[in-house]
Amino acid sequence: MAMFPVQGFVDGDFVVVLALVDDTDPMPVVAEKIAYHSVGKRVAAQDRPLKVKRDGVVQPDDATLASVGAAPLDVLEVVYA
Amino acid sequence: MPALPRSEWYDLTRDMNWDLTYVTEDQAFPPALSNSFGVPAEDWWTWDEPYKIAYTEYVHNQAGKDQGLFSVNNVVSRSSIFENLDPGWKAAILAHYGAIAVAEYQASIGEARMARFGRAAAWRNMATYGTLDEMRHGQLQTYFPYQALNKEPRLDWAHKAYHTNEWGIIAARHVFDDMFTANDAVSTAIQLTFTFETGFTNLQFLGMAADAMKVGDLDFGALISSIQTDEARHAQQGEPTLKVLVKAGKTDTAQNLLDKMFWRAWKLFSLLTGLSMDYYTPIEHRTHSFKEFMEEFINKQFIDQFRDFGLEKPWYWDQLLNEMNWVHHAYHLGVYFWRPTVWWNPVAGTGPEERAWLEEKYPGWNDSFGKYWDVMGDNVRAGRPELTLPETFPIVCNSCQIPVCTPAGYAAGYLDSPLPYQLVRDGRKYTFCSEPCQWVFEQTPEQFAGHLSIIDRLLGGIIQPPTIEGALAYMGLSPEECGVDGNDYAWATATASKTA
Repeated sequence: MAMFPVQGFVDGDFVVVLALVDDTDPMPVVAEKIAYHSVGKRVAAQDRPLKVKRDGVVQPDDATLASVGAAPLDVLEVVYA
Repeated sequence: MPALPRSEWYDLTRDMNWDLTYVTEDQAFPPALSNSFGVPAEDWWTWDEPYKIAYTEYVHNQAGKDQGLFSVNNVVSRSSIFENLDPGWKAAILAHYGAIAVAEYQASIGEARMARFGRAAAWRNMATYGTLDEMRHGQLQTYFPYQALNKEPRLDWAHKAYHTNEWGIIAARHVFDDMFTANDAVSTAIQLTFTFETGFTNLQFLGMAADAMKVGDLDFGALISSIQTDEARHAQQGEPTLKVLVKAGKTDTAQNLLDKMFWRAWKLFSLLTGLSMDYYTPIEHRTHSFKEFMEEFINKQFIDQFRDFGLEKPWYWDQLLNEMNWVHHAYHLGVYFWRPTVWWNPVAGTGPEERAWLEEKYPGWNDSFGKYWDVMGDNVRAGRPELTLPETFPIVCNSCQIPVCTPAGYAAGYLDSPLPYQLVRDGRKYTFCSEPCQWVFEQTPEQFAGHLSIIDRLLGGIIQPPTIEGALAYMGLSPEECGVDGNDYAWATATASKTA
């Protein structure tokens, strides 16, 4: 386990933020950690699960940043499924 | 005053150019301080300023200006005018003083460099006045806020700001160091006096002075008017420098210098002036939206001016026009949400009337930007204003040093992708907010590569502890100095009452 800084934003938000995640977090947890800084603060919450997009591709829920070979400060987009 | 008319002696006494024999050209004018871009010395001697003035006249004029200005200040500083100013206007002038006052003094360094390393005696003569002008502007814009410290202690940021690592000041310092504090004389003439002063600040100061008078800020209005008259004169160093470069076949060089700095100036301008014009100035005193001001005064006039010299619009012109629709709205959201990181109290400027004005000036604003304010307003009305405050940091651009707001441009329908631009160079990852910002970086990467953004400093362990509180302390902001909502959330309750 290692602290992993990423650049993240929730679809519809206005700014890219720094989010600290763990490289072994499954993608839903990564999505929650990014969304914490946005959903309910600037972006209205929706009753749908959150997904992580990397390089334009939605990542499977069982993947981690370590397993997909992500690098620190990669840009991750969080979208509602 | 001289017995002869100025026209009979001015050119003779001004043109003290001579051939160098004891030292080489590069020894007298080192390229790092005075890049000739290959133009021969004699060609530079054709440099001719459009506005002539002798030293006696200069001193006479400046003394008169100061006498009038200090008379106004003397009266106003004893009045209650400052206390009665609108909170939004106070935000605008606190931001202005912090971002501009010491930068003006630093501009005197750039002017002094031209006064010594300018390539023609006529130019060095004019830059000497420019040096004195900028010293005057630095002094005035620290003295005037000093006079009102008993009314607003954070006015000391007029002097303090540039001695801190506050994020906005890092952004301003980054561009101003490039533009004048650490620039060569020829590039300074093109990038400071032609691009920034002629293109942006000369017109902006006219507008700001008029706005100040409308809101009743006589002190600031008189100050800015007085400064603008100096700017209008010394900004004219750019035009003859440009003419020499173009005549010598260096049009591409001039175009590159202009393109780089026009974009850099735009980014800072949209952050400072965009917020002031569209959110901080009280709605009843607004004459133009920021976009209208850019279209009517900056873009049109400036294009006409550089086309007259055979230059073209910068290659990114369409991207600039695109950003004028949305980027400063995103910056305002960011400054408001991260308000503890600035030294003024941002007003939201999004009550019902303001939102109607924004929708009129920027059709679609309510759908694209109003939605963020809706969520924040809901939180305020639910008694949870802490949800309108940050618990992390925005990513900032490694070129302009301003938060990356590409998602806003995408969400508003102006960009094809919400993703920032990224570049890996020598193993380090750089992030940019726009294609032109990356282009600026790549023009001279060795100049910019070593700079650490505020986020790089946080991740690199320079900011300790790496928390919001640690970052505020690093930025020089004590709890008493951190920005708070300038209207105590009146915008949110006003929305609620109208909705109800």
